[in-house]
Amino acid sequence: MEPELAALMQAYLEGRLEAFDALYAELAGRVRGYLLSLTRNGSLADDLTQETFLQMHRSRRTYEPGRPVTPWVFAIARHVYLMNRRSTSRRRRFEETVAADMRADEFARDDARAWAAADEVRRALGAVPADQRHAVLLHHVEGWTFGEIAARLGIRVNAAKTRAFRGIRKMRERLSRQSAPGAKADLR
Amino acid sequence: MSVEVRDIIARDLRPVRPLWPPSRRAVVLIPIAVAIVIGVPALNFFRTDLDALGFFRAWGLSIAESASGLAIVALGLRESIPGRALTRRALVLASLIGLALPLVIYAVTTDTFTVGPRTWSVWRFGLACFRTSLFASAPILVVAAFLSGRALPIRPVMAGLLYGLGCGLVADAGLRLYCEFTTLPHMLLEHFSAVVVSMLAGAVMSSVIVQPGKKQ
Repeated sequence: MEPELAALMQAYLEGRLEAFDALYAELAGRVRGYLLSLTRNGSLADDLTQETFLQMHRSRRTYEPGRPVTPWVFAIARHVYLMNRRSTSRRRRFEETVAADMRADEFARDDARAWAAADEVRRALGAVPADQRHAVLLHHVEGWTFGEIAARLGIRVNAAKTRAFRGIRKMRERLSRQSAPGAKADLR
Repeated sequence: MSVEVRDIIARDLRPVRPLWPPSRRAVVLIPIAVAIVIGVPALNFFRTDLDALGFFRAWGLSIAESASGLAIVALGLRESIPGRALTRRALVLASLIGLALPLVIYAVTTDTFTVGPRTWSVWRFGLACFRTSLFASAPILVVAAFLSGRALPIRPVMAGLLYGLGCGLVADAGLRLYCEFTTLPHMLLEHFSAVVVSMLAGAVMSSVIVQPGKKQ
C-alpha cells in the first residue's frame, strides 16, 4: 500500500493532477475518520478533510520522497485540526469579550440614565418652595405619615397633605417640561 | 472532494522540488557555525590560556560543541516536518544532552585557569559574555527559524526549543575560545544562561512564525 502511495506522491510532486485524485481517493476516507474521531462532528470533519488536502497541497514540498505517505498526511490533518481548534477558541474568547463589553456598556448606559434622572429630580425638588419641599421629603423620602409631619412642623394634618401634594405637582410640571419620562415615572 | 478545492489545486499544480532532508539542510548552517566559532574570538581576542589548554580542550571541544549544536538543530528541523516528529523520549534526551554539554565542557576545562568574578553578583560586570553569546547566536537562529518555518512544524515550540538550543551551543563554542573567566558564577549566569535564553528565543520565534490559523 505505502509504496503505491509513495509513487502517487512522487507523481503528484511532478505536477500530475490524476495522481492527486488517486491520493485523495485512497486517503480521504481515512483522514475523515481520523478527524471525526478528534472533532466528533461530521460536518466539521468534512470541512477539515477538505482543508487537510488543501494544506497538503500547500505543504507538498515537505514530503520526503521514498518515505511513508500516510504518517505525513495524518500529521498534516492533526495540524489542521489543532489550527482549527485554536482559531475557534480564539474566536470564542473574542466573542465573549465583545459580549462582556456590550453588557458593561449597557450597565454604564443604565447608570448614566439613572444619574441623569436623579439629577433632574434633585433640580425639580430644588425649585419647589421650602415648606412644600420639606413635606415632600419627609413623606415621600423619609416615609413619615402626614400626622407625624403635622406634629413635627406644628401644622394641621390637611396642611401637611396639601404642602406635599403641591410640591409633587410642581415637580411633575417641571419634569414634564424637561421631557424626562423616567424621572416622571419615579414620582408616580 | 469539493469542486472548489479541486479547482484550487488544479490551478496551482506545478512540479515542485521537495525540501532537502533535515540533516542536509543543517549542513547549510555549517559555514555560519564556522564563522561564529572563529568570529567571536577573532573579533575580540583569543583567550590567553589556549596553549595551556591544549588543542583538544580548546579547539577540539569547541568543534565538538558546535557539531553537537548543529546535530540538535537538525533534530529541530526534523521535528518541523509533518510525520517525522520526535518521540517525547528523544526530545527530552536531546534537550538534556544539549544542556549538559556546556557544563561538561566547563568541568573539563575549569581546572586550568580559574579567573573571573567569584561571587554571584556577576551582573555588575555588565553581562558582556551573555550579550556576546546572544548576538553571536542571532544569525544562525534566524536562518534555522527560516528553514524550520519553510516546513510545517506541528509542534512549533518543540522545534524552536531544539534549534534554539543548538544555536546557543554553536555560539557558546565560539565564546569559550574568547572568554577566559572560568569561575562557576560566571559560567552559569553568563554562558549557560545565554544558551537557555537562546533555546527560549527559538521557541518564541517558532511559535510566532507558525501562528494559529496561519496558512502555511
